[in-house]
This record gives sequence, C-alpha cells and structure tokens, in this order.
Amino acid sequence: MRIGSYELKLEKRLTLTGWEAAIGSILAIVVALVLFSVIFILAGINPLFAYQEIFSYAFANPYGLPLTINRFIFLLLCTSAFIIPFRAGLWNIGMTGQLYAGALGAFAVLFAFGGRESRTSDLAPEILIPFMLTAAALGGAGLGAIAGFLKGKFNTNEIVVTMMLNFIAFWLVAHMIKEGGPFMNPGGRGESFELPPSVYAPLIMGVPVTIFLALGVAILLYFAFAKTEIGYQIKAYGHSPAAARYAGISTLKIPFLVFSVGGALAGLAGYHYFAAVPGVYKIARNYGYFGDLAFYGIICGLISLGNPLAAIPVALLFGGLSIGGRFVQGKLNMGFGVDYALLGVLMIILVAFQFFYRYKIVWVKTGEERLDVGVYR
Amino acid sequence: MWEFIARSLDASTIFTFAALGELINQRSGVLNVGVEGVMLFGATFGFIAAQSTGSYLLGFLLGIAIGGLLGLLHGFFSVTLGADQVVVGMGIWILGFGLTTYIGNPYTGPLGMERIPTILGLSPFFYVGIALVVVSWFVLSKTSLGLRIRSVGENPSVAEVSGIDVTKTRYLCVTIGGMLGGLSGAIYSLFYNPVWNYNFLMGWGFIALALVFFSMWNPLILLGGSLLFGTMWQLSLNPQLVLPGVLSRYIWRTIPFVITIGVLLTMSTKWFRVRWGAARPEALAEPYVKQ
Repeated sequence: MRIGSYELKLEKRLTLTGWEAAIGSILAIVVALVLFSVIFILAGINPLFAYQEIFSYAFANPYGLPLTINRFIFLLLCTSAFIIPFRAGLWNIGMTGQLYAGALGAFAVLFAFGGRESRTSDLAPEILIPFMLTAAALGGAGLGAIAGFLKGKFNTNEIVVTMMLNFIAFWLVAHMIKEGGPFMNPGGRGESFELPPSVYAPLIMGVPVTIFLALGVAILLYFAFAKTEIGYQIKAYGHSPAAARYAGISTLKIPFLVFSVGGALAGLAGYHYFAAVPGVYKIARNYGYFGDLAFYGIICGLISLGNPLAAIPVALLFGGLSIGGRFVQGKLNMGFGVDYALLGVLMIILVAFQFFYRYKIVWVKTGEERLDVGVYR
Repeated sequence: MWEFIARSLDASTIFTFAALGELINQRSGVLNVGVEGVMLFGATFGFIAAQSTGSYLLGFLLGIAIGGLLGLLHGFFSVTLGADQVVVGMGIWILGFGLTTYIGNPYTGPLGMERIPTILGLSPFFYVGIALVVVSWFVLSKTSLGLRIRSVGENPSVAEVSGIDVTKTRYLCVTIGGMLGGLSGAIYSLFYNPVWNYNFLMGWGFIALALVFFSMWNPLILLGGSLLFGTMWQLSLNPQLVLPGVLSRYIWRTIPFVITIGVLLTMSTKWFRVRWGAARPEALAEPYVKQ
C-alpha cells in the first residue's frame, strides 16, 4: 500500500523486545474484550456496563476478590505447568488430567489415614498436609511423565497423548467418587468424602498458603530458565531437538523432565482447588468444570510468551475475568457459559496476534522515482 | 447383537468422516489439531438449525457450511499468514469448545424430531461414508488432482516449480477437510446421539486425529481403523455385552483412550517407522513461504 512517497510494508521481526511483546499481548487482550462485547450486545446488555460489573466484582468486591485470588493461584500453577514443556517446544494440554491425578493423590493420602470414615478424627495436619501436597505433585507428575517418556523415547505426538490422558483421568475420578467408588461420600451424593477440618490448608488473611507455592514456583522458574544449565538445555531442545542432541543434551531426559515437572505443578493445582479453597474441600460433582478451567492455562502461557513472571499478572487478569464472567452471567440472566465463550474468543484472537509477534508493519520512504514499479517482488 | 453392530457402524461413520477430512488436510501438508472444535461447531449449529427449522437437510447443510468456514479460517492463518499450525488448531478447538458451550446452552436437551430412516437397518451415512472413502482413495492415488495434493504435501517448493498453485491446493483441501469435520459433528448431534449437552464430544475429534496417523494417510486403512474404534467406543459404553460385571462402567470408558495411546505408541516404534514411516507427508505442518 502506498501513501505519498511512503509505502506500507510487512517486515519480518528478527528479535522481539520485551516491550514489543508486552504491548502485543495487551493489545490482543483488548481486541478480544472489544470483540467479546458483541456477545453482550446480542444478549441486549450494554458491554461497558457488563465489563464494569465484571471488573468491580472480580477485583473490588469482598465476595468476588477471594474467589479471584483462589482462581489466580489455580491458573498460575496451570500456566507454569504449560510453560515448562512449552519452552522445550512441547505442548502440554494435559493439565486437566494431571490436576485430576493430583487431587486423587491428595485424597488417597487422607483415605489411607482414615479421613473418609470420620470427619472429626484428629489427624495431625503438620504431617498430613505435606504428605497430601507430595502425593498431589507425584500424581500429576506420574501422568505427565507418561507423555514425556513416550515423547522422548518414541517421539509419540504429545498433544494426542496428553489429551487421551485427560479423558482417562476424568473417568478414573468418576470411578473413584461415584457409584460405590472408594472415595465416595458416605452420604452417596456422587462426590468425594469431605476433608476433615483439621487438615484444611492453612489460611493467611483468608488466602490459602498455596499462593506462596504458586508465586514461588513462577519466580523460581524464571531464574531456572535464565540462569541454570538445565534451563538452557530446555531452551536448546525447544529450538531444535536434533541440534540439542549433537550438543550432548539427552533427548529422552528433556521431554521426560519437562512433562514430569509440569505435571507435578498441575497436580498441585488440583490439590489447591479440591483441598485448599475455602468452601470446597472435596472433589465436587462438577469437577469437570475445574478441569476445563485448566485450558485457561494454555492461553495464559501463550499470551505471556512462555515467561513465568509475565504469567503472574496475566493469570490474575484471567482469573478475575472468569470469575466476573460467571457473576454477570447470573446477575444479568445470560445463558450458561459466558466464561467459556470468553475463553474461546481470547484464544482465537491470540492466534491471530501470533502474526504480529513475527512481523511488523513499517512505513518505508520510497525514492522519488521508483524503478521497480510493476515488478513483482 | 444386531443393534450393537448397527450402533458400532454408526459410531464408525462419525470417525470416518472426521478422520477422512483430516487426512485430506494432512495430505496437502496442513495439520489441523482442532478437529474436535470443528466437529463441535458443526454439531451445535446443525442441531440448532434442524431444531428451529424442523428440517434435517438445513441442519446438515449448516453443519457442513460452518465446518468449511472454519477450514477456511484455519487456511487463512496457517497458509496465508504462515502461523504455527499447532497453535492455530488449538485456537480452533478452544474457540469451538468455548463458544458452542455458550451458544448451544439454550438448546440443551433432546432434538425432538422424528429419527432419520435407516437403509437395510444401517444409517444412510454409513453408505455415504464408504463411498466417500473409496472416492477419496481413488482421487488421491489415481488422478492428477490427487498427485497435485500429494506433491504439495510432500514438497511444496518443487510442486510450485512444476506449475502447481500450492496456496490454492492447500485452501481446497482445508476447506474440504473442514466441511467433512462439520458434517461428522452434525451426524453425531442429529443422528447418533440427538441430545445437546455442553462439550458432549468428549474426545471423538482427538481420536479421529489419532486415526489419521494410524491410517498412514491411506483412506482404506482409515476405514478399517474407524470400524475398529467405532466398535471399541460402543463396547466401552456397553461392557455388559462381553464381560458383565467386570470393572466399573467408568473404567470401561477409559478403554478407547488407552487403546489410542497404545496404537500411537506402536506406530512410533523404530520397527514401525523403518517399515512404514515414509507414508507421512514430508511437509506436514510446515508453513510454505514462496521464495
């Protein structure tokens, strides 16, 4: 396109600075929210009013804010679980299954200590809570490790494998908590037994301690990628597995490692939602909903371009959006699934914006007389 | 027993359509990991159209149309803009999952229309599916159009030099692939299980994707694979037919997914790759930039 003696051209980016990336990501979110207002308009609702309601409920309401923070912890752990394999060029879309496995692990510990039979039994929290956390991490890691091992050893497509594991874990949870499964609630309501109050995760000003875990992991990951040898190896594998192999990096170890650690973090996210959020403390009947939420982790990971520190504000924003979306859905009598629809719109806009991460639009001053007019380049 | 076989064939038909679309996609070198999203869109819009107009035909047509549009969208991102095809496919899947949950929710429940009549006890789509498989096989391996598609998938720059329009061929294939995916979803929601519920596919699209790898990009093997998985799926829903009382019904539901992983694993072993590995389109998932 030409305007005067200037020409609009696409130029391939050689590098993407932090600022350019941040501006791109913020623009993507803004464009998605603007596009999403179509859904509000179609439902006969003023989008500005809807967004005002969403944000004020999510971030400034005494009932909404704790929900947002709990959702944020969950999303940040899921995002970290996505980012670690992502840095190695691998796709972990199995956070859903890994968090189910983590929840099953945590509840298995309680089950072994007799937590199902009596809600009043005085189980020692200082022993049981670390046990539950470890079991949750191991459960998630175990499921992740399957995908990582198959990728490293046989180069099996990790997208299909992690997705299949999601469904396997989904039905395993159903088996454990429904129709006479071992973790079934004695009341028989198709959900798991409830946690004895003595092993509720400790709260600090109403916030579960898992927030330190999530934030600590994100910061640690940032330094691991920036400063350590293993972080470098993961990035090298991500650029080119073949080249990494020639450099002496094990092509079995890296996928196995990233999926195990990622799975462990997703497992902790499962612990968080089913054993640490006030008011839940059981594997609820609608556990599938929490599993679906893990897909926000993919979006957070992509929008923060695999940077664990950038994931912190992004997870907070999306946590708030999903909580606020659910709230306006009820308040304004909209159909079920506003938060799901938002997830979909955000994702496809993000895909469109991938283009701007690789190209930029520049104005080029052309000479007075162009010699290449009509020449196809 | 006959009813079980008929239901299994119905299920196979859905796998066949979705996987055949994806196979044509991949033969031209474009990977769409979002088959499940395309199916969800086709199923939901087909369901809504059929229920509100009372016409099955309109339902199927809208399902096909929306699938084709999503194929074009995939083509625009991955062929024209040269984006990472896995990212685009993921985008289409999550878009389908998220948006259809919201759009379809007011229609939750049964379709409430007279069932589509069967031909000799089987769904009419079964016969259409077999015909389509044979036609696709013939076109892909015996005609010049098929040669064009395959060469674009193997080596686009050589194809371009020999006078084939890579972009056009790939657009053609992603559109057909999307239409078949949409149709497959519509068959699910209008015939196989005419009840709308959110995210009701529960992995059909991803199994179809795995089936394409399993088929070694050959439509005839793909048909065999679909029959196998259709039967397996039906069996996992009705375990009492073979082993009554063994394992809970939830454990049975995991079987198709476990077997999918097992099949993928077998195909990834060195033995298999050495013997059959050449079947994979060389330029699969590689964006093509004209020099």
